[in-house]
Amino acid sequence: MVKKAHLVTGKGGVGKSLFSAALAYTLSLENKPILLAEMNDDSFYRDFLNLSKINYKPSRYKNNLDIAQWAPNDCLKEYALHLLKIESLYKLFVENPVTKSLIEIAPGLKDLALLGKLTSSPRRHGPLMNYEQIVVDAYSTGHFLALLRAPGALHEAVPFGPMGEQTKSIDYFIRDQNFTQIHLVSLPEELPVTETVELYTQLKNEFGLKPLVYLNKTWPLEMTDLQGLHSETKESLAHIITNQEIARTTFKKENIEIKELPYIFNTDVETVIAEVSQLLKGHV
Amino acid sequence: MIKLAPSTKTLICIGSGGVGKTTLAATLAVGLAFEGRKVLVLTIDPSMRLAQTLGIKLTGEQEKVNLPLEAKGQLYASVINHQKIFDWFLEQASKGQADAEGLKKNRLYQQLTGRLSGSQDFTSLVALQKAVSSEVYDLVILDTPPSQHTWNFLKAPEKISALFNDGIAKWFRQSTTNEPRLLSRFLNLGTTQVLKALETLTGSQFMQELSMFFAAIKTWQGPLESYIADSHRLLTSNQTEFLLVTALDTSRLIEAQKLSREILKQGYKLTSVMINRVYPWVQMNQVEQNSWPTQLKHINNYYQDLETELTSHFEILKKSLNIYKCPELRQNSDDVKNLAKNYSKIIHL
Repeated sequence: MVKKAHLVTGKGGVGKSLFSAALAYTLSLENKPILLAEMNDDSFYRDFLNLSKINYKPSRYKNNLDIAQWAPNDCLKEYALHLLKIESLYKLFVENPVTKSLIEIAPGLKDLALLGKLTSSPRRHGPLMNYEQIVVDAYSTGHFLALLRAPGALHEAVPFGPMGEQTKSIDYFIRDQNFTQIHLVSLPEELPVTETVELYTQLKNEFGLKPLVYLNKTWPLEMTDLQGLHSETKESLAHIITNQEIARTTFKKENIEIKELPYIFNTDVETVIAEVSQLLKGHV
Repeated sequence: MIKLAPSTKTLICIGSGGVGKTTLAATLAVGLAFEGRKVLVLTIDPSMRLAQTLGIKLTGEQEKVNLPLEAKGQLYASVINHQKIFDWFLEQASKGQADAEGLKKNRLYQQLTGRLSGSQDFTSLVALQKAVSSEVYDLVILDTPPSQHTWNFLKAPEKISALFNDGIAKWFRQSTTNEPRLLSRFLNLGTTQVLKALETLTGSQFMQELSMFFAAIKTWQGPLESYIADSHRLLTSNQTEFLLVTALDTSRLIEAQKLSREILKQGYKLTSVMINRVYPWVQMNQVEQNSWPTQLKHINNYYQDLETELTSHFEILKKSLNIYKCPELRQNSDDVKNLAKNYSKIIHL
């Protein structure tokens, strides 16, 4: 039974996939079964983590840690099967061109299926998931609000019937702070910081959620380290250090607590995951 | 400086998020306009930064960018307004018939145009095609959404066409006739069961909206089919080049490798790879490096390792690929001249 769902988001390129993997790994060290899921049609983790396979059905990634790919279509299929129950009808349903195109155009249906899957444990709906917590490498900031808004919006459009009931309960658990924890990953750069502040505020005001915020890839350099360097080098590094300072000040001014995650300058992904995981210990 | 075939009319910049694709598209546009071409740059992300840099508004119009006197060509820029483009397409497709107004009131239509990223992909292609076919410009540069979406973007024509295949739209229109007996005569047993299943899943109200939606868009079919054919022709044209933008970062590297393989497999003309936002001090000479603090030497090695890995991957993938490096742009002094200066610093590897 899933007790907590962690949704990780951030502007594209901030390192949220690696963060999600590190977060899942940290949680798995407490000896409870954890699932790491990515919301992609086309797996990112397969290549990134050098996995032999990744499917909708979870497979073992590390001790106490399984990994799965939640392609929106697969979530929708599972949802349909659970509702329709009859196998032959299900086959007819999912293999029908009408359904296929319906899924392509019906707004938010895929988003709904993903969140339906995520909240299936507390809603006691759908197949049982034997995990204590789930970490989802979710959409980047641009699409993230649309994802969270899908259940509410669909409930407004179709308040009655089976779909009306489903959307209402999904929306309820997405807004439940004891169940949903959002993690916002940011970078010490102007645009990611601005987007993080905006999203943080919207999530707080619109959903009553309090996201945890991370300032990722901070550099272990101070202005005093730059003495005696070539002017172009100095200027470039000073720019990085200044941006970092601006990021810290901005978050402070907005009253947003941040956890800094220093840049791990290592090309080996597993090493970086282990190191970031160390930094997260005790924080999550 | 970058090399484009003289006959190239369209340059599509692809790449994952955070690689600075939007700014790079603008940099290339400015640089090529300085060299003498008449360039239009279209951006999909409603980026305030690009708009500010170029001094344009976010209205979706193609606006002329003021270039300094030394520029030999002209530059136009536009931030794609998806709603406007969609409405324009709809009006064209329905030939101004009354159902366009009715459709705009349909909630499904509103959500489809407003929310679906799929429709953004669709509208971007419409905007691109509109601009290229106007033959006003020597070159149109398109900035695309991040890689997860780049794929959607290229598949947009297929997705839309799937809606009209297998007589689906016709099927839905028939089911709105309010004549259950007539309806069941048209439908075979399988379809009736699917209809029931859909109702179980979604509730009948949703089905009604859906049917209305399909009924309303029936005039689309013809124009849409020709649009899909045109889009495919444009994307695979010999006059269209793809440029992959990436950065020195482990995740970006893996995404770039994946994306480039896919692009080539699908037969698109990938000609160039740009390693963007490279720090100027990476690969400084040894003498300079001697004075560096230890951690900077370590950081430098990390970036060099990434660059070596990246270039060797692309050399194996396709020998004829042009690989470039573009230095990071200092963000606090964005203006057209600064972009032109950065363009001149692009190195061909």
